[in-house]
Amino acid sequence: MKTTMICSLAFLLIVPGILSGGSNVADDNLVLLPIKNDPTISFRIWIKVGSQNDPPGKEGLAEIVSSMLTNAATEKNSYERILEKLYPLAASYNATMNVEMTVIYGRTHRDNLKEFYPLLIDAILAPAFKQEDLDRIKSQALNYLENTLRYASDEELGKAVLYNELFSGTPYGHITSGTIEGVKSISLDDVKGFYRKFYTRENVVIGLGGGFEKALVNELKRDLGKLAAGKVELVPKSVPRTGNGFTITLVEKDAQSTAISMGFPIKVLRGSKDWYALAIANSWLGEHRNSSSHLYQVIREERGLNYGDYSYIEHYPRGGQLQLPPQNVARRQQIFEIWIRPVPNETRHFALRAALREYQELVEKGMSKGDFELTKGFLKKYVLNYAQNTMERLGYALDDRFYGIKGSHLELFRSMMAKLTLEDVNKAIKKHWQYGSMQIAIVTKDAQSFRDALLSDARSPINYATAKSDHVMKEDKEIINFPIPVKPENIRIVPVTDLLVK
Amino acid sequence: MAGSIFPYKAHTEVLSNGLKIVVIPMESPGLVSYYSVVRTGSRDEVEPGKSGFAHFFEHMMFRGTKKYTGPERDSIITSIGASGNAYTSDDITAYYYNFAKEDLEKVVELESDRFQNLFYSEQVFQTEAGAVYGEYRKNITSPFALLNEKMKDLAYDVHTYKHTTIGFEADIKAMPQGFEYSKSFFSRFYRPENIVLVIAGDVEPGKTMTMIRKYYDSWQRGYVPPKMTPEPPQKGERTGEVAYPGRTLPILNIAYKGDAFDPKNGEFVAALLLGELAFGENSDLNKKLFLKEQKVQFISPSFPMNRDQGLFQVFSMVKKAEDITYVRDEVYRTLEEFKSKPIEEKRLSDLKRRNKYGFLMGLDTPSRVTGGLARFVALTGGIEAVDELYAAFELVTPEGILKAAQKYFTPERRSVLVLKGAQQ
Repeated sequence: MKTTMICSLAFLLIVPGILSGGSNVADDNLVLLPIKNDPTISFRIWIKVGSQNDPPGKEGLAEIVSSMLTNAATEKNSYERILEKLYPLAASYNATMNVEMTVIYGRTHRDNLKEFYPLLIDAILAPAFKQEDLDRIKSQALNYLENTLRYASDEELGKAVLYNELFSGTPYGHITSGTIEGVKSISLDDVKGFYRKFYTRENVVIGLGGGFEKALVNELKRDLGKLAAGKVELVPKSVPRTGNGFTITLVEKDAQSTAISMGFPIKVLRGSKDWYALAIANSWLGEHRNSSSHLYQVIREERGLNYGDYSYIEHYPRGGQLQLPPQNVARRQQIFEIWIRPVPNETRHFALRAALREYQELVEKGMSKGDFELTKGFLKKYVLNYAQNTMERLGYALDDRFYGIKGSHLELFRSMMAKLTLEDVNKAIKKHWQYGSMQIAIVTKDAQSFRDALLSDARSPINYATAKSDHVMKEDKEIINFPIPVKPENIRIVPVTDLLVK
Repeated sequence: MAGSIFPYKAHTEVLSNGLKIVVIPMESPGLVSYYSVVRTGSRDEVEPGKSGFAHFFEHMMFRGTKKYTGPERDSIITSIGASGNAYTSDDITAYYYNFAKEDLEKVVELESDRFQNLFYSEQVFQTEAGAVYGEYRKNITSPFALLNEKMKDLAYDVHTYKHTTIGFEADIKAMPQGFEYSKSFFSRFYRPENIVLVIAGDVEPGKTMTMIRKYYDSWQRGYVPPKMTPEPPQKGERTGEVAYPGRTLPILNIAYKGDAFDPKNGEFVAALLLGELAFGENSDLNKKLFLKEQKVQFISPSFPMNRDQGLFQVFSMVKKAEDITYVRDEVYRTLEEFKSKPIEEKRLSDLKRRNKYGFLMGLDTPSRVTGGLARFVALTGGIEAVDELYAAFELVTPEGILKAAQKYFTPERRSVLVLKGAQQ
């Protein structure tokens, strides 16, 4: 007995340094952004997991798990108690997640750090995983899929259909909210198993920004080091089907107007020269929520068909709510996307043609010198707006880590605007964009008649309430006959009630 | 100002034509946020058939002047990489740009030009009406947009809060015919006495004011206030049902006539806190209905600050139609409790602390400062109301909350709507 005691004491004397060092989150997995004068502290705790890790049949699990950490009880506190404690601090924590990343983020005034920090840490380390919390969170997720997404916003629905179709059959092939059957089937054991597998010490990156003290960094490393050990295998990259011509999904719905989203996967990622070159072309074609977008000029400003028209070279969730790009939605396989906001049903064919025609012209002719110079100048300054506060800057810093960018993407963005030439841009267009193969998702009424019109490539004349300029009238003559070659087997009609089921 | 909650020093000046300018220097690496707050919104749409016009007009403000046509203006904004937009609501139309400080003079020039010299053809005017109709169509698929439209219509009889900011669909369809009216709208409302500039970020007040005077001094007065018809006191409860063509869980919307924004009105200030205490995230009712019983997808208050008498509202999405009455009665029961039993001091002080930190943490970028102040500016014409309101919050007592509950939450002031989706 005595001997054993001595042995363990000796063990304790020698080992603690190694043990505590070994169980900390590694310094490599720290992203720090100290800003002395900032009276607040921003946390972004990145777990390398996302909807691509959802097991087949359990689509939606990654998102549910993140919610079970941030919107539910911990071992120490009921969820009600957590809300009570956070309340006077005006601080909160939440999760944002996408195909590859889950980030638990929170922000507090430094006066309130002592009260906020233990709540945040408990949420990550000691979730209670109670059945009543799971019931509530599943019910919200199902309501979103069954009602909100299908009926409350046709443009969000169109995008969801596009994302699901683009990567169908791969781990990227379902939206983060999952499917109705997937969510229904999720049990507490699924949640616990997923958490144990992915929320590990080696799979976490600590992002910390603002007016924090050094001691907080050590505390975080030590505390998150208490997560279970475990290396996580990266899901093989999702490889989508490409090169199948125009493939169209028509969602049949009793809709007043028609929402259109279309695109294809692209390989280019931020950090590479081509990405910045393509960013110039894309900004000219369709800068998000900006009147400088050429598609916007053609479809909205000149013709008044809808509220806006944009394009993207990175996945851009919540586009309807955001003015500037979101952070922490990074992914290894990106998409090119064109978003046509709802147009009157009678102009749907025309609007689709108008957008494709502009895109085709850009792909075939490239950018003009004048547009290139203007757009380059625009982006150089516009990106200043992308990360205005500590939380946003920290988000970008994590994304830089994801993409393996040494330094900062936003600085690189600005410096590339000075280096890139028109030739670089036009070469990048040719290399990464093609015309003729695209996935198109359309939410509309009387889909059958649209299918017929698309298959026969029928003219799509347009009537305006008012006179238009000669320039518009001339262009319209080309638009109404602009060919969209599509094979019958590549157009399918899906009733809205069949969507998002499994 | 001693005891001020607002953490930055603001410089306020009024030009001889009545234009007020608030300049707020703050730490911000090279960025400036520039807000033009027009103290006009859908509230000012007093003429019949003109609902939605303030918002429509906001769109027209991007269509250029004789000096800079719309495309020229777009191209200049593009060349300076400014991030900007505009929005309209009941009491405000706001235009903003966020940009690099070296471009301040260009923005001052462009903004002063369009506010004084807006010029567009009838053809352009009519095309823009199409974009506005597109905005309506994209919004109306939401059950909340439909509910908002119906609640305003139910709760008000004569005041312009009867219609939404986007307007009635029939009025939007008729917008292309409003070209002449649009000129009168501009001439009456887009005048210096009715507009306040709020400029925050990496700016120096002296130099900024020199630029402002250079470009805005020549602007002529001429604001014509709309002839508002006050809403007569409501006499008795109103109820209704709304049929939503898509699928949704039922939504319960209970609204009470409140008061116009006035930080000196202790009952109004107390009511703003009451909304949070009774129906906010940390309220007993939220914990009961959302967390414990799980009968609702959410319950939440909307107690806005309005220039005229606004609505204190509670929204709840109920999981089962048969529970709507139960949830409604729980809301009433909660309000009765607030009328009869003073709230614990601790809950009130927690809320005051939350408000203070929430406000401070929200002011971390120039655009959040200007954006946060814009509503106060629209309601009162200046930013002093911010300090007044937060000072008034500090003075609210449990008895004050009780009195506010007794004043506002009576059946006579109440309107109730239930929205239901199409049968599954």
